[in-house]
Amino acid sequence: MNKPDDILIRLRGITKTYERGGESLCILESLDLDVPRGSFAALMGPSGSGKSTLLNLIAGLDKPTAGTIDIGGERIDKLSEARLAKFRASSVGFIFQSYNLLPVLTAAENVELPLLLAPVAASERRRRAQTALRVVGLEDRMDHFPRQLSGGQEQRVAIARAIVNDPLLLVADEPTGDLDRKSADEILTLLETLNEKLGKTIIMVTHDPAAAARAGVIHHLDKGRLSVEAHGEVHA
Amino acid sequence: MLIPIRYNLRSLVVRRATTLATALGISLVVWVLASAMMLAEGVRRTLGSAGRADVAIVLRNGSDAELGSTVEEQQVGLVLAMPGVRREGGQPIGAGETVVIIAAEKVGSAGVSNLQLRGITETGEKLRPTVKLQDGRRPTPGADEAMIGSKIRGRFKGIELGQSFDIKKNRPIAIVGVFEDGGSAHESEVWVDGDIVRSSFGRGATVSSVRVKLDALESFDTFKTHVEQDKRLGLLAMRETDYYEKASEGTGKFIRILGTLIAMCFALGAMIGASNTMYASVANRRREIGVLRALGFSRIGILISFLFESVLLALLGGVIGVVAALGTGSLKFSVLNQSTWSEMVFSFQPTPSIILGSLVAAAVVGILGGFLPAVRAARVSPLEALRG
Amino acid sequence: MTLASLAARNLLRNKVRTSLTLLGVAVAVVTFLLLRTVVAAWTGGAEFAAKDRLVTRHKVTFVMPLPKRYIEDIRAMPGVKASTYCNWFGGKDPKHEREFFGQFACDDGYFDVMSEQQVSPEELAAYKADRTGAIIGESLAHVMGWKVGEVVNLETGIYPADTPWTFTIRGTYRATSRNVDKSSFFFHWDYLNQALPEARRDTIGWTISRVDDPARTAEIGVAIDRAFDDKDTQTLSQDEHTFQASFLAGFSAVLHAFDAISLAILLIMTLILGNTIAMGVRERTQEFATMRAIGFMPAHLRWFVVGEAGVLGLFGGALGVAIAFPLIQGMLGRFLEENMGNIFPVFRLPFGATVAALGLAVALGVAAALLPARTAARVKVTDALRKLA
Repeated sequence: MNKPDDILIRLRGITKTYERGGESLCILESLDLDVPRGSFAALMGPSGSGKSTLLNLIAGLDKPTAGTIDIGGERIDKLSEARLAKFRASSVGFIFQSYNLLPVLTAAENVELPLLLAPVAASERRRRAQTALRVVGLEDRMDHFPRQLSGGQEQRVAIARAIVNDPLLLVADEPTGDLDRKSADEILTLLETLNEKLGKTIIMVTHDPAAAARAGVIHHLDKGRLSVEAHGEVHA
Repeated sequence: MLIPIRYNLRSLVVRRATTLATALGISLVVWVLASAMMLAEGVRRTLGSAGRADVAIVLRNGSDAELGSTVEEQQVGLVLAMPGVRREGGQPIGAGETVVIIAAEKVGSAGVSNLQLRGITETGEKLRPTVKLQDGRRPTPGADEAMIGSKIRGRFKGIELGQSFDIKKNRPIAIVGVFEDGGSAHESEVWVDGDIVRSSFGRGATVSSVRVKLDALESFDTFKTHVEQDKRLGLLAMRETDYYEKASEGTGKFIRILGTLIAMCFALGAMIGASNTMYASVANRRREIGVLRALGFSRIGILISFLFESVLLALLGGVIGVVAALGTGSLKFSVLNQSTWSEMVFSFQPTPSIILGSLVAAAVVGILGGFLPAVRAARVSPLEALRG
Repeated sequence: MTLASLAARNLLRNKVRTSLTLLGVAVAVVTFLLLRTVVAAWTGGAEFAAKDRLVTRHKVTFVMPLPKRYIEDIRAMPGVKASTYCNWFGGKDPKHEREFFGQFACDDGYFDVMSEQQVSPEELAAYKADRTGAIIGESLAHVMGWKVGEVVNLETGIYPADTPWTFTIRGTYRATSRNVDKSSFFFHWDYLNQALPEARRDTIGWTISRVDDPARTAEIGVAIDRAFDDKDTQTLSQDEHTFQASFLAGFSAVLHAFDAISLAILLIMTLILGNTIAMGVRERTQEFATMRAIGFMPAHLRWFVVGEAGVLGLFGGALGVAIAFPLIQGMLGRFLEENMGNIFPVFRLPFGATVAALGLAVALGVAAALLPARTAARVKVTDALRKLA
């Protein structure tokens, strides 16, 4: 359903350096990356390789020192903080390693949270949250609080929260890191489904080869440089 | 086995903003309490030091204070002739004095207040050997001159060396001297020649009180018996120290009760603040506490450790509060004294027992506020150490 | 779900902390209101004072009386409707040494000028018919247990007498204005005057005059003082408000102390609120970072924290007012008005202070939240979300 040249994420000459105690530390250097629309990409690499930094840049949480980031035709590397926040609200769905659900809200209310930022009526918010929870298979747990759910269930609520406003892009940072094998499998299957059935573009940081293997393409990041290992539909 | 104090100190330092906020709350309690106690002590000393044990004061029966008392002139001679009165060169040491109050405008505020004006005689000074001239000179007897106590100097319009006030229309009294008396109540008075006061205020042949010097401390009872025996005189005698003690009772008690009441309300607030802080501290350290328990520290050890931390926190506040109260103590507190109906200036008088008492009060706030959180800490299971 | 309900949910998260904080704020508000009520009760007389009444007294000292003939001159002044006079008696009941109450020897027109102190016509007639009669305040009658018809003896050092002064209580007065003292003791000036030695007769402590135009009160006062300026005793005329205010000037240090303490209470309240909010923000760093990642703006989080503090202040303040009302108005106020009416004729929660307390609880909550709110808004998303592994 996607044209191979339909690139959703286009990074060019990305450099990210941090100032730490007067010294500048180069995390990423002149890095290029293309992620096609509708693909499921994994980002792997050893600790400190800069994969989380790269993910943060793509998700609009951080800005590059140099280079351009184009997401779905919008240059986000020069956006103001406020515009970046709007971009995240409308275009990015986040999935974290430790779920980061608000403990005081029920599953449905957690899913509703991003919709508070959009001009959506309360009844519509409720309906959409329900739909999202149905997609992740937790319709019957709507009114449960996070502490009443298992880790896998919590992560599925987090995924529902990520997709509720129909973002361009899902970013997942070690989504299975805190889960047992079985739950992890379920989450990865869910991500695959979202990618295949709903056409969601997913980019996932992981250091688990088994998890990465579920993605269509694996980018390896090492010492600030990328290399690609693809399976299935190959992309150069 | 007790947990090292360093552990508590470190935890207070780590959460320094919260520690400081809580300690400041407690410091306000201590500030109010210590200030009130210091002021009450100041009132006691000011009025207390005005009296001498070897001086007796004679008032009209039924009066508490010189202001409301009237003694007829011919009675003064009778009183001075009583046994127990000291004589020098055949002359009794004693004098009738007239006390009135005059309206005076306060400097720096719109109000008019009352000042005590004392009509004195030359013998009057022999009754108060502690009075010393601080500035200027003594008034000439019979002249329209006054000397003022050092505490009211410059606090009222016209009440300053070199200035004057009207005792009557077109009759100014020049202030030629300033005296001090070891911080006593006299320092809030204006002293003018007794005859001038009596004539200006139409007191005629009456005075307010008679003061006599006793020939020995023990002579008071003899003197008192003789004064009060003659019912027709209608007079009563008091030792000067007792008279001023009684005069300080009302104001001192008022300040002490009010201060304690307010401090108690404050303490309740601060206790709640301390509780809150300690609860948060316990909640943040459940895992740490679990580890301590797993290492073999007993429940009681944990309880004591957290109570100790709370007391430490409170004492920090206590020290800040005492320092603040000592700072307030440099101020002068001027207030209408109930028994004299005139304005008196009091100072805050710190004593070791007030400071110690205030710190104890802070520690009590710490113990009470920290108790329930400490109990919660002691209930943490060693299993908490193993939780993720 | 709305942002407001999320904020409410957060307040309920730590129930112990929230209840303690609410209680702390409530205690502060109650203490604050108690102090303000004391101040209002104390200064209230001055605020409620009649604007059309003038008090004239000795210019230099209030302990010295005026010649009695002055009253005729004052009554003859243009603009003066009625005038009465009193002397301070300064006595006490030897059987109740510790009870302090004011006794005044007044002329019979007193209750006409002081219309707030009402006596029934029958009792007033009985009083006027008895040379040694007395009218007492309801509150004094309650405290001392005196009944109409009872004979009372008083002693005073100001007017020495061989035997105690004897009075017969002929009636009680009711105060129609809340600020009027309900525990005074009035008797006939003539009774006092006739018993005095020749030299001390025919003097009056002060006069109270009613003027026909409240707007001219000050002007008439000046005219009275000018009339006596060349006589042997000069006068000072003040409207009732100034008279009472100048009396309070002696206590200005106490009032200042009360203000300082009130301020300290507000500070304690701010510290309690600020501490709670700061602890809450610190514990929720991760949640704030998540919300930021989802697309919430720093301003959202700032409002969130500030709103939470405002709500905490509002509920704490409301709790405080809810406690203060029955406590001060009901229990304490009634007790003090009945038993210490001479010091606190009106002990009621001042409406302004009550509203101010509520407003301040909210405002100080918000103020205390500003710093934590800044912390929340400045959460570094990437740092806060960094995995611990």
